[in-house]
Amino acid sequence: MKQFSFAVLVGATLLLSAFTAINSVDWKISNNYSIKFKGTDAEGIFKTMTGGISFDANDLSASKFAVSLDVSSINTGNGMKNKHAKSDDWFDAAKYPTITFNSSKISKSKDAYLVEGTLEIHGVKKQVKIPFTFVSNTFKGNFSINRMDFGVGTMQGMSKKVSNQITLEIAVPVTQK
Amino acid sequence: MKKIFTHGIVAGTLAAIASLIYVHVYQSALGASFNKIINSGSIVASSIFGCTLMAVGYLLLVQFKKEKFTGILNLVIVVLSFASILGPIGISLPLDIEAPELFPGLAVPLHFFPALAFFAIEPFFRQKNRNRDLTT
Repeated sequence: MKQFSFAVLVGATLLLSAFTAINSVDWKISNNYSIKFKGTDAEGIFKTMTGGISFDANDLSASKFAVSLDVSSINTGNGMKNKHAKSDDWFDAAKYPTITFNSSKISKSKDAYLVEGTLEIHGVKKQVKIPFTFVSNTFKGNFSINRMDFGVGTMQGMSKKVSNQITLEIAVPVTQK
Repeated sequence: MKKIFTHGIVAGTLAAIASLIYVHVYQSALGASFNKIINSGSIVASSIFGCTLMAVGYLLLVQFKKEKFTGILNLVIVVLSFASILGPIGISLPLDIEAPELFPGLAVPLHFFPALAFFAIEPFFRQKNRNRDLTT
């Protein structure tokens, strides 16, 4: 009888922990996220992000990021700049309406994580590595990309004023699903 | 001198009233809100300041007996009003402001109200010597 009770207890614990593991992996993106970009003479945010986040600090191999930004939701604070950014001179939002990121590997460094994956901007796919933290149910990451790698804008005329390197600051609060 | 400044203050007050009405109608009609950028106090202050500055210009002409350049001063005021619209067109608003493309439509007309008000009521504050000139 004692052995049977122990077996039931172990079984129940394993069963519950399995559900806990599954539940802790999937996260819902909260509304107050922030996707900021900053470069010389170019600064703004993307207001609309959708996608799925599966993250478990104890099981990084099962974790995954697949998110998409709506290019039309760009806001530089200036109506003319917004229109220009969406035009075919820059993001060409009509032809390439989204910026996507799909992770392929997540690893842990000292106090942070590193996600590797494919970033697609303006129809160009590049492998990128993004360092991020996950504290208080908020993912935070800062990284830079070279806009010319993705064919966004040119380095001629007035476009020269915008630096090649664009820094992205991402803060995504999440709630457990 | 007192008459010219009164002209400026009255024109500024009228421009401020017109601006406040326009801002209210514009924001209500388009469902936009730029109250963080433009508030009633700044509208009243800038309208009165602009018209007082115009009055100072006219006062200087009178002081230096250069009333014949009044037309030139009027042109300068109009050109400056036009040039000032580059401000609201080029400004980058805080990123939490929705629909920044609607901002120039709100702010640009406000830049013309002070000059409009000043010129509109100018006949009521015309200097006596100018009236005499016109009648001779």
